[in-house]
Amino acid sequence: MKRSFALPLLFVLACKPPTPAEQMDAVVSWVSTAGMAGDAWLRHTTPDNYTRQALQLSNQQLLEIGTELRKSPPPAIDGATLDSVLTRSRFHIAQMARLVEEKNAPDFKTQLDSLRTDQRLVKQLSDSVESTQ
Amino acid sequence: MNLVRDVLDKKLIDREDCCMGRVSGLVMHVSESAPPSVTHILVGGPTLWMRVHPFLGRLSKRLATIWGPKRNEPVKIPWSRVETVGRDVKLDVKGKDTGALDWEIWVAQHIIERIPGGGSEEEE
Amino acid sequence: MKKILQLALGVITSVGGFLEIGSVTTAAQAGAQFGYQLLWAILLGTLCLIFLIEMSGRLSAVSKHTIVDAMRERFGFPFFFIVLVGMVIIAFMVLVAELGGIGFGLQILTGVAFPWWAIPVSFVVWLLMWKGSFSLIENGASLLGLVTISFIVSAFKLHPDWSGVASGLVPSIPETDKARHGFLAVSILGASISPYLMYFYSSGAIEDKWDRSYIPINRFIAGFGMTFGGVLSMGVLVVAALALQPKGIQVETFPQAALLMTTALPRWGFYLFAASMIVACFGAALEISLAIAYFFAQGFGWNWSEDLEPSKNSRFAFVYTIIILLAAIPLLLGVDPIKVTMMSMALTSATLPLAIVPFLFLMNDPIYLGKYRNGWISNSVVAVIILISFVLALISIPLQIMGG
Repeated sequence: MKRSFALPLLFVLACKPPTPAEQMDAVVSWVSTAGMAGDAWLRHTTPDNYTRQALQLSNQQLLEIGTELRKSPPPAIDGATLDSVLTRSRFHIAQMARLVEEKNAPDFKTQLDSLRTDQRLVKQLSDSVESTQ
Repeated sequence: MNLVRDVLDKKLIDREDCCMGRVSGLVMHVSESAPPSVTHILVGGPTLWMRVHPFLGRLSKRLATIWGPKRNEPVKIPWSRVETVGRDVKLDVKGKDTGALDWEIWVAQHIIERIPGGGSEEEE
Repeated sequence: MKKILQLALGVITSVGGFLEIGSVTTAAQAGAQFGYQLLWAILLGTLCLIFLIEMSGRLSAVSKHTIVDAMRERFGFPFFFIVLVGMVIIAFMVLVAELGGIGFGLQILTGVAFPWWAIPVSFVVWLLMWKGSFSLIENGASLLGLVTISFIVSAFKLHPDWSGVASGLVPSIPETDKARHGFLAVSILGASISPYLMYFYSSGAIEDKWDRSYIPINRFIAGFGMTFGGVLSMGVLVVAALALQPKGIQVETFPQAALLMTTALPRWGFYLFAASMIVACFGAALEISLAIAYFFAQGFGWNWSEDLEPSKNSRFAFVYTIIILLAAIPLLLGVDPIKVTMMSMALTSATLPLAIVPFLFLMNDPIYLGKYRNGWISNSVVAVIILISFVLALISIPLQIMGG
């Protein structure tokens, strides 16, 4: 009987809001996903379709998380810095998705290198949030 | 013989070693002058669902009269046809003649055989 | 010699248990987030399954009855009905997830989104059951399932720290993210100890016409088969720990999981992942569809066999046809198979006692097993599994809420 209450409860409470640390982990995860997918494409290990979809998915996820973070910025880091690095990352990822379609590897590499810089900054920001939890 | 443990819910195997369902229920004859005796084995939906809840039993009985092979009465097999009771209940009948396989035949003819590759229920 | 070929039954059972979309996703999530720390959950699941599968085979070989036959006969229809409802709901969710897994595999290869694959994939699964025999399904899925060995190859190529791997086989509690750790442990156990594997294996033993002479080989098949699956699942975890964890990639979606082997096997890793998922999910989809149909047929006393023409066991064929048709619908609507599989694993954990407790009684019943009843070792192991299953049942739902 108790289990029959647990299931609706499960559905309601499963949408618990993530903590700031969890949100930053997700940001790191998606920027890294885009980076790893980009690497794999440059090495000709993944097809164009997949790479483009993975990049678009990363972009979409970063947009959603970014919107949430703007509403309630994590403590201990500068909201403007976070917003700026997220916007830049999303720009690079969007460019990469376009360049996959054009099969333009050199420009793709340039964008990927810029994304790497953003990746390092995002990781630093995430570590700052972790250390305050 | 322990009827609930040894007979109820056991598989019914016919003369040709075909599976013809399970014992859903038993009909017993109770009289003043003699000890109670089992007269029939019941096979089929309504008896079965009655054991879960009377409402389901009644619903099943209604559906059985309007759907599928359309039976008004449950399938009753005389106890005298029982050959052995072991892990399964072996009967001296042909499954198709008892009505126990009516649903199987109905589903085969109305649904399965209409799909390409379904085959034919009837042996050639 | 012929008996050793029955190894295929063990392999297909374990592929369906350990390498289907739920197990691969949770193993990858576990490795990506906690490194080697959750290897013990896979080990525990494997050990439990070895015993449960061996017992399932022994019951069928000796009594010539399946678990479901025996459950109906010993516990009656009302109890059987409760288990039927629970089992069908969960197995249906798993089937949706597996068909989705095949669709995902095709999506990453072709770029065509998985809902578009729902109908073709369901049709092929159905067609194999409609026209194929049990041994075709058993041997075909097992042979093709060998492509999943690529996970082990990848793990070795990444040069894991073996002492780290060994310490991961011992249960531990992490410093942080305890709820998430617990949730993944429960999910891994729920993904591995799936009752439908027992029902499938027990029915397979009858399909393959086992008798008492198969008892020794059954031990070997259960042991080898489940170990094969368990080791492959550990391979997925190790690869995720080495390829994804350093980058901070959490495996929340299938496209992220697809990157798993691209570091270790640059040329073929991506394609081997896609092939592995397609094949494993295919095997699992066949297994689950059959398990559901077997459950109905055996419980209600209908004719059943994958070797018979559909019209000769019409109700059995009708059940798997309907169930596959219905399973395509959520996918057509774009329901995320990964979310479905996570929920099904939590529910499996929550309802495990319902499947295992009656099983303990059956394995000690002299009418079915005679002198081949469980000894004290097997009974102790099942008792421990029951204890684990009750604990899982109690904590799986709160953990899903907290850590899911």
